[in-house]
Order: sequence, then C-alpha cells, then structure tokens
Amino acid sequence: MVLPSIKNTDFIFRRFNVELEGPAIPVEDTPEVKGAVPTAEPFKTLALAVVKGDTDTVISKVKDALKTTKPLDIIEKGLAKGMDAVGALYASGTYFLPNVMVSADAMMAGISECEKALGKTTEKKGKVVCHVAEGDPHDIGKNLVVMFLRAAGYDVVDLGRDVPIETVVDSVKKEKPIWLTGTALMTTTMSNFPKIAEKLKAAGIDIPFGCGGGALSKEWVETFDLGFFGAKAHHAPKLADAILKGMGWKDLRIKYSEVVGEYATGKGW
Amino acid sequence: MVKFRYTKMAYKDPDDMVFGHAIYPVFCKNWNIQFGAGYVVPEVKVAPRPGMGDSLEKLKAEHERITKDACDRAAAIGIPFFMIEQEHVYQQTNNPKWAGEITALQAGIIEEYVSKYGIKAALRQTVGDIRVAEKPGGLRASLGSDYDARIAETVEECCKNGASDICMETMGGKEVLDYGCMRQDIRAILFGIGYLGSIDMEYVWTRNVEICGHYATNPGGETNCSGANTLMFVAGGLTAHDFPHTVAMMGRAIAAGRTLVAYECGAVGPHKDCAYEGPILKAISGRPGAQEGKQAVCAHGDVMGNTIAAVCDVWSNESVEYHSEFGGTTPAVWLQATAMEAALMNTAIQTGQAKVLRDLYTLTDRYRDPQGYCLSYDNAWRIGNALVEYGKDIYLRARAAALEAGKIMKEAHEKREVVLTRFELDSLERAMAELEAMTTETPRWVEKCVADYKRKVPNFKPENYGL
Repeated sequence: MVLPSIKNTDFIFRRFNVELEGPAIPVEDTPEVKGAVPTAEPFKTLALAVVKGDTDTVISKVKDALKTTKPLDIIEKGLAKGMDAVGALYASGTYFLPNVMVSADAMMAGISECEKALGKTTEKKGKVVCHVAEGDPHDIGKNLVVMFLRAAGYDVVDLGRDVPIETVVDSVKKEKPIWLTGTALMTTTMSNFPKIAEKLKAAGIDIPFGCGGGALSKEWVETFDLGFFGAKAHHAPKLADAILKGMGWKDLRIKYSEVVGEYATGKGW
Repeated sequence: MVKFRYTKMAYKDPDDMVFGHAIYPVFCKNWNIQFGAGYVVPEVKVAPRPGMGDSLEKLKAEHERITKDACDRAAAIGIPFFMIEQEHVYQQTNNPKWAGEITALQAGIIEEYVSKYGIKAALRQTVGDIRVAEKPGGLRASLGSDYDARIAETVEECCKNGASDICMETMGGKEVLDYGCMRQDIRAILFGIGYLGSIDMEYVWTRNVEICGHYATNPGGETNCSGANTLMFVAGGLTAHDFPHTVAMMGRAIAAGRTLVAYECGAVGPHKDCAYEGPILKAISGRPGAQEGKQAVCAHGDVMGNTIAAVCDVWSNESVEYHSEFGGTTPAVWLQATAMEAALMNTAIQTGQAKVLRDLYTLTDRYRDPQGYCLSYDNAWRIGNALVEYGKDIYLRARAAALEAGKIMKEAHEKREVVLTRFELDSLERAMAELEAMTTETPRWVEKCVADYKRKVPNFKPENYGL
C-alpha cells in the first residue's frame, strides 16, 4: 500500500504548535519561575520542588525546613510561591494541565506536613461547594475545579457526582459558601441547575452559582438568576478571589474575561 | 463471559480495508438494512433539550419531533437508507418503561416511512450507563446497584419495543482513568481503560448479548466515550495545552483492547464512534463500525475529521441538542450532512474509486496531528496487529497497542512526517519508558495497581470489578 505524496501540505494544514514553539529553556530559568520563586533558602528549594511537581522532595524539604522555619512561612513564602510560578507557566503555555496537577499534589502534601506541625488546618480564604448534576457521572471538570481551588487556598466541600437537588441546597444552607459550582455534560442533567437556583433564591440565598461543562453555554446559564457560565476549570481561583472581594453573579456575567485575565468564549473545544 | 479472544487479524492486509465493506456484514432484522455490506449508512443522533426529561410526555414529544424531522428530511432529499441513534438521557435509562415507550414511538414513526417510501432504516438505542462507582452497590446489581438493575431492564424494554441495535458507552474504570488523565499517568490510563474497563465490558456485554438474543435486536457494541474520548477532548486542538496529543493517542490504542470485549462477548456491530478507536477494531475484527469526524463539529473539535472516515461503515454526527437552524431542525440538518458525505463514499464505491477516496480522506489529516497519523488505516492495522499478539491477556494486549502507537508516532517524528513539539515528544518518550518498564507478569502488575490506586483514587472500589 503506497499513499500518494503531497506536494505541499501548507495548502492543507499547518502545525502552529510546532511553528510557534520557543527555544528549550530549563524550567528554573524561565521568566515565569524567576519572577515568582524567591531567592532565599529554604523557600527557593521548596518552591522549585513544587514547580517540578516533586512530592517526595517537597515532603522531605518541608520536614527539614520545619526545624528552623515557621510552618506558615513555609507555606506562604515557599510552597505558594512555587504554585504561583506554576500558574504563570500554565498561562504562558509552557506547562500543561497534568504539570499543574502534580505540582498541586506536591504543594498539598507540603501543606499537610505544615498543618501537622501546626496541630491544626491553615486558615482558608473562603468556602466553595462543588457538585456534578444529578444523573451525571462526568466529574473530571468538577475535580479540576476542586483541585485549582484547594491549591489556591480555598476550603472546598466536594459533594461528588450525581448529586440530588435537595442535597445541594441543604449543603449550601449548612456550609454558607461564598460560591456554588455545578458541572454537567448532558443537556437533560443540566436542567437541575435552574431548579437549584430557584430553591436558593426562595431561601433568600443570593450567592453566585458557577455552571460549566460540555453541554452548557453562557447563553443558557444566563437564563436563570444566580447563574454565570464557567468556561475553564483553571479560571476558578480568580473567580473565587473576585467573589471574595464582593463581586456578584450579575457582574461576573459581564466582567468574566476581565476577572480571569483572558478571552473566554461561551464554549470550549 | 467472553466467548473467545482475538489472537489473529481479520484483515490480513490493511489495503483491503475500505469504507462500506466489512468482512462480517451485519443484517438488521426489522427494516432490511445491512452494515458493511457494500454501502455506507448515514446516521444522526440528536439529544433532547434541557427540561424535556421532566416528564414522560415531554420526553416522548421531543423524541417524536427528533424522529419525524429526520425521516422527513430523508424523504425530502432522497436518502435511501439511514440510521437514527438515540443516546439515552438519564431519565430514559433510569425509567425502563419510559425507554420502552419512547422506543416504540420511534420505531412506529420509522415503520411509517419505511412502508411509505421503501427506505431502509435502523433505530439504534444507546442505553445510558447511569451507574456510579462510589454509590451503594457500585457498578453491579449483584452488589446492590439499583442503577445497574435498571440498565438491564432498559435494554430489555428497548429490545422488546423495536430497537434494531443496542449500544452502550460503559464507564468502567473511569474513576482511575480520570486520575490518570489529570496527572498524565500512563499506568493509570492503562489500568483504568485497558484493565478495569475490559472487566466491566465483559460483565455488561455478557448480559446485553443475552438479552438481545431473545429479540430481533442486534447487540451492536461500544466506544470508549468515558475514556479515550475524554482524553481526546481534554487534549483539544493544536494550540491547547491541557494534555499531550501523543499520550491521548496511546489512550485510544489502549481503548481498542477494551472496546473489543463487546465483540468477544458476542456483539456483532456496528460499534459506536466517539473515541475514534474504530479503525483498529475493524482491522482486528472485520466487523462494521460507525465513525464520526468532520460532521461531529456540532459537539466537539477534531483534528482528524476526514482521516477517520476512510474505513467507516456508518457515518455519523455527534450528539447535538434539538433546536432550529436556518436550514431546519438539527435532526434534519445533521442527517443531511452525514447523508451527503455517505453519498460521496457510495458514489466512489459505485464508480470503482473507493480506494482513491479512502486515500484522499486519509491524507487530508494524516500529517496534521499524531492522532490522525496513528488512526490512518495502515497504522491502525499495525496497532491491531500488535494487540492480537497478546490477545488473550487484557493487560498485555492494551500495553502492546499503546507501545505500538508510541513507536508509530516516534517513527513519524524521526521521518519528519509529523514533527512533534518538545512537550509532545517528551511526554511520549516518558510514557513509552514507563510502559516498557512495567512487568509482563499480569497478576503482579494488577496487584500493584489495585494497591496504589485504592490509595490514590477514593472512588476506586476493587469489588466493582470482582478484584
């Protein structure tokens, strides 16, 4: 079997990812890492271990650092700075999603060691309740949102997937989060979201309800009060920060791209 | 139980593979249609709008619109044969009687058009996998899963009420696959799709084949929507940076081993399409399959929308919500789109130029992306051939398929046919090194995977897989 040869593939396609690829630079020499990672030790070593997603090194270096350094300093001046660099590397296209995940795992392992030393959990920025619609088992998007929020210092109540409306509403009443998220991949499961919003409104709860997932669109989510469309999982920390500062669901609908710092279409790939 | 394992290729030469022809064509008993018997059948699938699942009445009315609009367009533009696929919404599978009534309604409408116009038609019912691994009973009725029990009832209701073909997109292993996808952990991908997915497929398809056997309904088969399609979806386009396309392709090669299990349990085809493992399945099994590509843009982007058409037997869109376009409602519009593409393929067959068109389809996207390169029919055949060498062992065959896909992509890079970015190449080399380092002693590998992922993935319950 011999396929005909193509004279010039430029008339058929172009591999822009290859054409635009920059020079190979070790990750520690990138401007994103140099701009975020501190120069003083032990923070530099801790931050770089997070950047590289090296959980074993993070745990052992945190244990070493705890002999001389306060746990909160280890978190804020070391581990969190590493995660800031990871966020910048992801935004610039140097890092891919799995890099972010393994770095987040490493950071959370480091925080856990610090919390053991503190004898309590660290103070969180705020609480977020996350769920996947009843009847919908597709939870990868929700899991990403949970990971991004936890890595950014938020307390997440993860209700899981296939969650009944009443469970979501009861959880919001009990936990009093700053934000509720819901994801769905199927057109018929997403119809639970306006019902949840309605029940929350009836209970006098006016928190933003961020809805995302394959079946949803900005147009549809904005048909019910409280709802705003979440385009990408990695936008979650910036959205949470904005909500923490007092931004409500009406403003989030309008200022979404401004808040997350990038153009966000109503739909993904 | 599986009835056999594939240890030999049905196609001895990849050049014998072409669209519209399968070694083992499938005859559909109710409306005189065949698959893989010398023509390509267009297919349309449309999902109900939000809120339509609130009641049986609403859901029936929506399915009536979907079915009538598709049949009307078939008559209006002279489509000689087509298939309607109904992918169940949660409410449909979760209420077996609803599923039965809706199937009967759709079958009745199709029957009218078949009688009036002499159209050949088929009604594929794709029953939803509503099971949730971490809920009580997990994935199996025998463990107390009501969801699983309802799936079995729904399959029976669909068969009883006129479905020509039963398909599913089972979710076995997804909890581990998702972990692997988010961390680019090739072992988790292999364990989730290749091993756990295959075990779950055997459980579900043994039952599906048994139920279909009591009726005039073909057990069609599967596609790894929850696994390989997830990887492809997360990988996105050329400019995305969420998951390497090279590893997504390895996931698809792994998925071939898993999806094949339906046939090994007695399913006959045509299998489903969204994970794009179809060319590998066809090369191994010789059974007809559905593919989706450039007319699936209503649901997701794609970097191989032409290549994937090369050896299809059913050409489909991907699920689109019911609504109006300028050119009609979505069932009408997307049936026309797939039917016109199928007409081109059937023209090529009828003029003796099928292989020319096959190769043009293939070349269009062969060098656009490593995934298209691997799914070109000649390379898909190579992946299949590597798989059947270890056909009796679900772990080793999936591993062999992934390694062969990796080898093909490395060759393409070295020949400068598909140049990879550093990230894609590094990811590929790392995944290949990890695969090569894995033990070939299956029980040892499984034991380690069970221990590790039980710890890392809270929703992974070994008892769901009899482990």
